[in-house]
Amino acid sequence: MNNPVLDAREDRWNRRRAMAATLPAGWSVLSFTLRLPAPLRLGGDFDRDAEGLFRDLVFHLGSRGFPVESPSFAVRADGPEGLCAVRGDGEAVKRAVVEFEEGHPRGCLADGDLMDSLRGETGRKSLGLPPRRCLVCGRPAAECVAGRTHGTGEVRASVDRLLSVPGGVPGERPVSAIGETARKAVLFETVAFPKPGLVDPLSRGAHGDMDCFTFLASSAALAPVWERFARLGFRFGGDDPAGLLPSLREEGIRAERMMFSATGGINTHKGLIFSLGILCASAGMIASEGIPLSPEVCASRGAAIVRGITGRDFASLKGTADGRPLTAGERFYLSDGVTGIRGEAERGFPSVTGTGLPSLRSSLAKGLSLNDAMVDGLLALMTVVEDTNILSRGGREGERIVRENAVYALELGGMGSKEGKEAVREMNGLFTRCNLSPGGSADLLAVTVFLHLLTPASG
Amino acid sequence: MKAVKDAAAGSLESSDVLVTVTPSEGEDNTLSVDSIVFRQFGGRIRSVAEEVIASSGLAGAAVKVQDRGALECTLRARLETAIERALGRA
Repeated sequence: MNNPVLDAREDRWNRRRAMAATLPAGWSVLSFTLRLPAPLRLGGDFDRDAEGLFRDLVFHLGSRGFPVESPSFAVRADGPEGLCAVRGDGEAVKRAVVEFEEGHPRGCLADGDLMDSLRGETGRKSLGLPPRRCLVCGRPAAECVAGRTHGTGEVRASVDRLLSVPGGVPGERPVSAIGETARKAVLFETVAFPKPGLVDPLSRGAHGDMDCFTFLASSAALAPVWERFARLGFRFGGDDPAGLLPSLREEGIRAERMMFSATGGINTHKGLIFSLGILCASAGMIASEGIPLSPEVCASRGAAIVRGITGRDFASLKGTADGRPLTAGERFYLSDGVTGIRGEAERGFPSVTGTGLPSLRSSLAKGLSLNDAMVDGLLALMTVVEDTNILSRGGREGERIVRENAVYALELGGMGSKEGKEAVREMNGLFTRCNLSPGGSADLLAVTVFLHLLTPASG
Repeated sequence: MKAVKDAAAGSLESSDVLVTVTPSEGEDNTLSVDSIVFRQFGGRIRSVAEEVIASSGLAGAAVKVQDRGALECTLRARLETAIERALGRA
């Protein structure tokens, strides 16, 4: 044959078939192309969008629990193409691909075809799904293509219109997904109740100067911030994750300013900006490497980003301690060697991965509501977290009260039992009277919820 | 000319067509057409296929056209290639 475009397409078809034949059972070949007429597909104008869309598609499949192997993207005589192997039931994978094609802001430009050695092609029709729609007129696309209903100019105008709609940069789908998950986690933590000693929708806990609306205002102000942390991680090209920390700190300082201006100077989320900011960046970095997100990988990459932070931050304290007022964390490091949230992060958030998250997920598995599972997760965190909010208000005695009460409520069955619920209610009264606010545990509950929501496959 | 071997050209990708040619008994050709746009273009696909087969001089073959919405020029090119291959020329 002497038509390079047709040759290239036939060649891809044969490569797909050869690849499908070599894969073990349970694997399919995914072939990605642009759904554009040749004059647009071959012009090079859309190569970068195509590469971004392919990366987003691979990420989407991973986030739906379908592992992807050896993804490769190339621009050939037939235009941009992506190929990879996907593990999972062929029909389930195809449904996830269709979900991407319909759900991604630019998904209508993507064409994802699946093939496995057993069934051959799994198409929309075999799943009883409606056919793809024409980019110009919305009729079944195959009719418009075969009938050359629309000229190249008309299609180009439609595509330009599509690309002008805001919807994130193609290729950075993980960034917006991470940002959205973080926003959810912050809001979920805010409205979970009862949270002993803390602000929740029904109680101010041990706080006279803020209520649930202060936290909602702060959450709203911080809504765009998480995506920025995730993008910094996603675009970081360095070898050593610790090289990312300076830019995260700058972003964190901007975020704190936004928080204080939204709350009238009240500290609602300063600790959370640190820990969740690091984890958003960590998740972004991992996603950019094509590694599936898991709580452990995410937490340990977070540790790599902040490696050495406790020693560095606190070493300089002794010299400048007489300058500004010290934070609670700084004071307790100097007096007791307490490393607080910095130590927690540097050790890879062991309270979250080892205690908070297992507790949340086990309560969910028992059939508890997300709210009640979150409260159980908070109680579990209280039993292990080195909480400088508690230490600064109540010292070691305060810490003992918090831990003993949390252990007691959990022993009674936590939110899964009537007695446990009653104990939690009494804790709220006690903590409020003693002026104890487990803010460190609350921050780590938001982190726990974030990691839980970000990695549904392993839950 | 008799088809001498099984041959195929094209693919089942969107906007393409897979043409397969299989040698059969006798001198007659048979043609089967399957298309996702059969209702609109089935007749046209069949007449293009018959025309290309006739002008190629192919004989004693079963030609199968599985169309995924290909343009007419693509259909012609795929048919010609598949027939050439079946005749042992390509």
